[in-house]
Amino acid sequence: MSDVTPIPPASVTVVSGGSRGLGLAIVQSIVDRGAKVATFARTVTPELEALAAAHPDRVHVASVDATDSKALTAFVKEAEAKLGPIDSLVNNAAIGQDSLHIHTSPAKIEQIVATNLTAPLVLTRTVLRRILAGPGRGRIVFVTSICAQRGYAGLVAYSSTKGGLDSAMRAIAREMHGRVLANSIAPGFFASEMSSVLGQTQLDAITRRTPTGLLVEPENIVPYVDLLLFDDTNTNGQVLVVDGGGSI
Amino acid sequence: MSQLSREQVRSMMSEVMAKQGKELPADDATPLDSFGFRSLDFSELALKVEDEVDEELNFDAPGLRSIRTIGDVLDFVQQLLEAEE
Repeated sequence: MSDVTPIPPASVTVVSGGSRGLGLAIVQSIVDRGAKVATFARTVTPELEALAAAHPDRVHVASVDATDSKALTAFVKEAEAKLGPIDSLVNNAAIGQDSLHIHTSPAKIEQIVATNLTAPLVLTRTVLRRILAGPGRGRIVFVTSICAQRGYAGLVAYSSTKGGLDSAMRAIAREMHGRVLANSIAPGFFASEMSSVLGQTQLDAITRRTPTGLLVEPENIVPYVDLLLFDDTNTNGQVLVVDGGGSI
Repeated sequence: MSQLSREQVRSMMSEVMAKQGKELPADDATPLDSFGFRSLDFSELALKVEDEVDEELNFDAPGLRSIRTIGDVLDFVQQLLEAEE
């Protein structure tokens, strides 16, 4: 009989981009579960500041640019000093795109790749090193996108970064050889994101093409993050799609 | 950067349509969907303009979505050109 035990639930989690939207909802949910969380964003919102003030022993917050690797390393050290050994990570921070590839400047492509692919790879490396140096086992969650699996106009660079993360996730699941559970959650289009760039007619058309008739909301994604951080499901190297069936 | 007149851009737009065997209507108020001018036709026009002015005119999609007529296309291109100056 094997003496291997399941990877324990997350106890101290780093969440990138936790100041608003899905990131803030993930941070709140981790706090609600009684675990500790360290999060950063370029701008710390009043909502996040309030959460940190309400749970000073369980929440660590800082203003950090995700593409600044030195600042990220310093943030992780500070977080461990305050909260204890880090054993989990939710890679959530990302920037969007809404431009045809032929009209997207090389500088913009570099920015999307730096923020959405290079930064999470570097942060994941940092957290994996802390996991191996500390608790020994842990969990990594990537928030990617349905764009990694299906083609959508105006999202070429963005899609390439999300596909890159899904591929990295599978490689990490292999490379960490059972010490780390690595998985992705691939949301469909968020109602809030879509409404900021599309007209009502286009929103209605997208909603009609989604079998549930509902675009994605942060509260649809949070239960999957909880599942991958806290539950014993033996799920590893997988992409969980949450899109109302829009991609089927 | 060399500046292009509205008429020069209109002429390039005619060339884009001519490649598809279509004629560009004379009235600037003509809706684009009435003669089959699609988003990639706008991209083709933008690339022609780029070649002419020797500068890239990069832009996001939301601006394109508000374009409805020939006049809107010409206005948008003029705005891009002015932004590059």
